[in-house]
Formats: sequence, C-alpha cells, structure tokens
Amino acid sequence: MTSPLKSRRTLIMAAAAGTCAIAAAAGGPAAAFVLAPLGIEGLQGRWVMVLRLEQLKEGEPKRVAIVSERRDAWTLDENVELGSVWLVRRGETVLAFSAVCPHLGCSVNAVGREFACPCHTSAFDADGKKKSGPSPRDMDTLETKITGPLVLVNFRRFRIGVPEKVEA
Amino acid sequence: MKKVFDFLDDRTGYRKLLAHALDEPIKGGSRWLYVFGSVLLGMFVVQAVTGVALMTSYAPSETTAWASVHYIQFTQSGGWLVRGLHHFGAQAMVILLAAHMLQVAAFGAYRKPREVTWWLGLSLLGLVLGFALTGYLLPWDQKGYWATRVATNIAGTVPIVGAATQKLAQGGPEYGSLTLTRFYALHVGVLPALVVFLVTAHVALFRKHGVTPAAKADLSKVESFHPAQLAKDVFATVFVLGIVLVFAIREHGAPLDAPADPSSDYPARPEWYFLGLFQLLKYFHGPLEVVGTVGLPTVVGLYLFALPFLDRAPTTALRGRIKAVAPLGIIALGVTLLTVQAIRDDARDEAFKKQRDKATELATTANRLAMGGVPPAGPLVMMNQSWELKGPLLFDKHCAGCHTLRDHGVEKDRTAPKLDGWGTEAWALSMLKDPDADDRFGRTFYKGEMKPIEKDREVIAHFLASQEKGSPGEQMVKTRCTTCHTYGGEGDDSATGLAPELDGWGTQEWLKAQILNPATKKTYRENALDLDRKGHMPRFDDEMSPDDADRLARWILSLR
Repeated sequence: MTSPLKSRRTLIMAAAAGTCAIAAAAGGPAAAFVLAPLGIEGLQGRWVMVLRLEQLKEGEPKRVAIVSERRDAWTLDENVELGSVWLVRRGETVLAFSAVCPHLGCSVNAVGREFACPCHTSAFDADGKKKSGPSPRDMDTLETKITGPLVLVNFRRFRIGVPEKVEA
Repeated sequence: MKKVFDFLDDRTGYRKLLAHALDEPIKGGSRWLYVFGSVLLGMFVVQAVTGVALMTSYAPSETTAWASVHYIQFTQSGGWLVRGLHHFGAQAMVILLAAHMLQVAAFGAYRKPREVTWWLGLSLLGLVLGFALTGYLLPWDQKGYWATRVATNIAGTVPIVGAATQKLAQGGPEYGSLTLTRFYALHVGVLPALVVFLVTAHVALFRKHGVTPAAKADLSKVESFHPAQLAKDVFATVFVLGIVLVFAIREHGAPLDAPADPSSDYPARPEWYFLGLFQLLKYFHGPLEVVGTVGLPTVVGLYLFALPFLDRAPTTALRGRIKAVAPLGIIALGVTLLTVQAIRDDARDEAFKKQRDKATELATTANRLAMGGVPPAGPLVMMNQSWELKGPLLFDKHCAGCHTLRDHGVEKDRTAPKLDGWGTEAWALSMLKDPDADDRFGRTFYKGEMKPIEKDREVIAHFLASQEKGSPGEQMVKTRCTTCHTYGGEGDDSATGLAPELDGWGTQEWLKAQILNPATKKTYRENALDLDRKGHMPRFDDEMSPDDADRLARWILSLR
C-alpha cells in the first residue's frame, strides 16, 4: 500500500505531464507547417523566347535575361526575370549556358569569349568547359532552338556544388 | 522615497537579488580583460532595442523589403541612426565575441568545472553568426541577396541532408518571399529567444563557478564586482557604443545596395568577418569542395567543443596548456591570413573593381530614384520604368548593332550614324556641311543622297536644333529643303522622297516615332521600309513598347 500523499502526488504529476503533452501536440502541426517547403516543386523546364538570332555576334557571349511567369508562394508574376543565361552564336546554332556558377551559385561573367566567376575564381573556356578554380563541373548547358528569326532557350535550374548536373 | 523602496523590497526581495549581483566576489581582483562578457550583454540589449524599432517599419517581402529599408534609411526621421547602430553594433558583437573567446582560452576558463559554461558560450557564438547571416539578407539588396545565396548553397553541399536543409532555409527550391519571411522569423523570433535562454544559463553557470583568475594572480586578494569591475564594465560598454555611434554617424546609417535582382551580374562578397571562410572556398576544388564548405568548419567546431577535455594540464598557466590551445591560435592566425588574402586578391583584381564600381553606381541611382517613392510592384519595376537605367539597356539591345553613342556600340562594326550629340546645333551643322562624313551617313546605303549646304548653314542648323517657329531658319527650311525633305508634312516629292520630316526634328517625340516605326510620315515617308529601301533603319514597335521607346529617346537626348 502506498501512502495517500504519495499516490496523490503521482496523480498530480501525471495530470501535469498530460497537460504538457497536449500543449506539445501543437508542435506537430507547427512542425508540419515549417517543413512544408520541402514539398514545393522546383521550376519545370520551359521554353522562353530570348532574342533574335541577328542580335548575336558570332562567338561573342551575350547575357540575356529570362523573362517568364513565376508563382512565388502567394504571388503570381507573369512577367518577371527568373535569371539569366549566356548565349554564344556558332553559325546557325546557338549555345546556351546557365549564368549560375555550378560552384556556389554566383553569377558568372564573360571575359572576352570565355567565362569567369567573380566569387571564387572558377574559370571556364568558350565552350563552358571548366578550366580552373573550384567549380565541381562545367557550366550547365541549356537546350536552344531557333524558330524563324527567334532564339528560344529551355530554361532550367541545376543543383549547386555537386559534380553531376542534376535538376534542382 | 525610502518607504516606496521598502515596500518594493518587502514584496519582491529585490535588494537581496541586487546585492547578490553586486557583491559577486572576484578572486584575484577586477581586470579590464574581464569586460568582454558584460560588453556583449550591453551590445545585445542595443541590438534588441534597435531591432524592435526597425521591426516597426520593416516589411519582409520581395516587393517591400528593400523599399521599407530605403524608407528607414532615407526618409524616416532618425531611421538612419537606428539602422546604423544595428548594423555596426552587429559587427562590434562579432569582434567582442572573438575577444571574449580568446580571453577565456588564454585564462583557461573553459576548464573543469566550467565545461558547460564554455559550451553554452560556443552555442551563443553560433547564434550570433546566425543573426549576422539572417540579418544580412533582410534588406533584400544585391549585396545581401547574392552573399546569402552562396551561404544557402553551401548548406546545400552538405552530404545527405544538404538539399533538404537548403530547401527548408529558403522556404522552397528557389529564393522568394518565403525566404524572407523565414529569415525574418529566425532573426526576430527564434534566435532572440534562444539567445535569452542560453545567456541566462551561461551567466548563471558563470556565477556558480566564479571567474577564473589569471595563473599568476594573487588569490588572497578578493574584490567584489561592485564597484571596481562594474565601473570597468560600464566604461568599456560606453566606449564600444561610442565607437559604434561614430561609425553609424560617419556612414550616415548603413550602406544600402541596389535592390536584389536575380538576373543581374554581381560580384558577391560576404560581410568582412566571413571573408576568411569565403577565401577558403577558393582552395578546395571539385569533389574536395565540401572539405572547405563543411569539413574544416566542422573540425574547428569539434575541436572547440572538445577543448576542455584536451586540456588536462595541472595548471591554468598558458605555458602548461600550449598544446591544447595551440590549434585555437592557428585557427585565429589562419582566419586572419585568409581575410587579408581575400582583401588583397580583390584589391588586385581590376575586373572585380570595375564590377564593384558599376554596382555602386547602380546603388546610388536606385537609392535616388526611390526617394520619389517605390511602386507597389517593387523596386525592380521602379528601375525598369526609369529612363536613365532602362535607356542604355535598350540602346545596347536594339541600337548598338548599327549605331554608336558614347561607349555604347562598337565603332568598327558601326553601319549607321554616330549618335553623339544628335539633335544639337553642332550635329545639324555637321550634317549640312558634309552629310557623307564617316560619322554621319558615310557608312550607310544613303551615302551621296544629300548634297552639302553652302549658304546660311548656321541659321538653318540653329533652327533645326531649336525648332524656333517663325525664325529665319524656319523660312529657309520651308523654301530650300522641302525639295527632298518634308516640313509639316509638306514637300515637293512628299510621297516618295528619301529625306525625313524636319518639323520636330531633334525632339523626343520625333525620336520616339522614329524608333517605333520610321515609316509613318512623322519622320520618314510611308514607303521608307519598302523592300527596295535596303539598309534603312528598321521599325522596333514589335519588340519595344511605346513607353520603352520614350525612355530610350529620352536617354539618348539626355546625353546631348
């Protein structure tokens, strides 16, 4: 037989613990709330018109902004700059490179006909191949097509800082 | 008065608490080297007060963050001072933390039985860096945006959990409004709560174990916290606050870069205290990248955590503990060297300096434009609607293939007139003198079409540039030029001629009409773009809005 005092204390402790548990249960929905962004899908590849072929000079890199639609949480923007790409004309074809450095995501610059990242000194040749610096891979190429006078780019984003080119 | 305090003490017992705080015994006596903890606490209060003040004007979203910080910095009275104190106070805290840590390490104050105090201190160090990282993004300017993107990308390189961590920090796969709200929640809610909790525990444990006197201190001497140490602490806090104030006043607040633009190029750099880490990343290539981003920082963290166990010397004298604390010295030296190297690399990098100057110029313009108010669609839209920012971009995109103007366009590729000074009397005069000059129509298909004018050139040029109705120049144009040109729509061969309308020439309206479509008779005749008019300037109304044409025309004329 336990003393009445002791059993009363146990009961009160149990009640207190129960109250705490109920209060803590709010942590469940709160955690789900905070973790929700894990379920947000990345941008799907999309064809975006960027300029007319005649605006590109043979072999000279040109940075163009990708203007397209974007859903950002509660905002729908139909005409927003999503990022930019480097275009290089090679005769009647056009090469496109994502301007995002595969190292840590800074914005890559053109230096003459080649490319360099102003952050951690990664350098790439005229074909976007890695020359020197810390980047784990070449610049990310994007598909292009030419429709009449217009150049279109299939805009995508890729994971940063990994050797493989995988979509983000 | 005494009665009031007696009443308060009777009900709260505050005198005992106060006495407990003030009478803390300090073995070996008070020292200037003991001030850092107290100064940090003082600065934390400054950050909290200025931070809450900033919260009352700041609005975290992509379209409002930059605009609200601009308002605080430039419009709200005293806003710049509060923002400046918060900005430089944060930097002071980082320096004070380093000093506090080095003092604790030098005195061996992490040793048994103070391990937990040390770990709480390390956690607080992490929290302060967390404050720095999250706070840097909140203005949503170029500097904060690009530097923080690198930081979250670094989180993404952590094996296994990296991708999820990055997504959680960013509030999704990309930067957006949720990134701001999350960073804001961390900065003003989660981190302050944790700091208050940990600081309380840190100080309580410090009081439990007392100060660690220097090895050579005379332990028979015991001073109480009040008055000597308290006076030193207060003086040091006021001194640091004074320095922070000087910086805030000198900078008139804190710098605000141009609004964050994800499609821009920007030479990203972190705040100065992260430059060492930044520099480190240049040295780890390819698959080794994660060593620099995660590996080395983790090793440093583990070492700091384990330091109380590594140091088993029987004495607190630095000499006996040199092996255990040597790595800390090496880390401090390494961070210093890397920081210096990062600064030197940038100072020698001409391309970087050029980009930096360009970014500063853009920031100045954006800040000036926003003085007139930012539209609800946000500061990027504001910049897009500005003729002085949009004009040169439009020129580069649409005009620079054929024309040149100042440093826009390539002289050797030019096939159309040089536009420097277009619309001025000098330009008109040179055109009348020698229309086929190399920098006029000499490189076009229309070379040889216009004959030089010998008589009254100055009078005609003056009229063309001024468009002064009723002037002698106007009469001359009406009578002598309309064989080929039109004036007010009238001309001898008004349906077929090659030459443009001269009424309104050189004005923004004329130029805008010409850019949108040269073949409307407002500038050139309706058949100007017919197939036989090879090499004529094309129309741009299919790829440029009338508003943009107006911005472009205004910019070109602004350079006269």
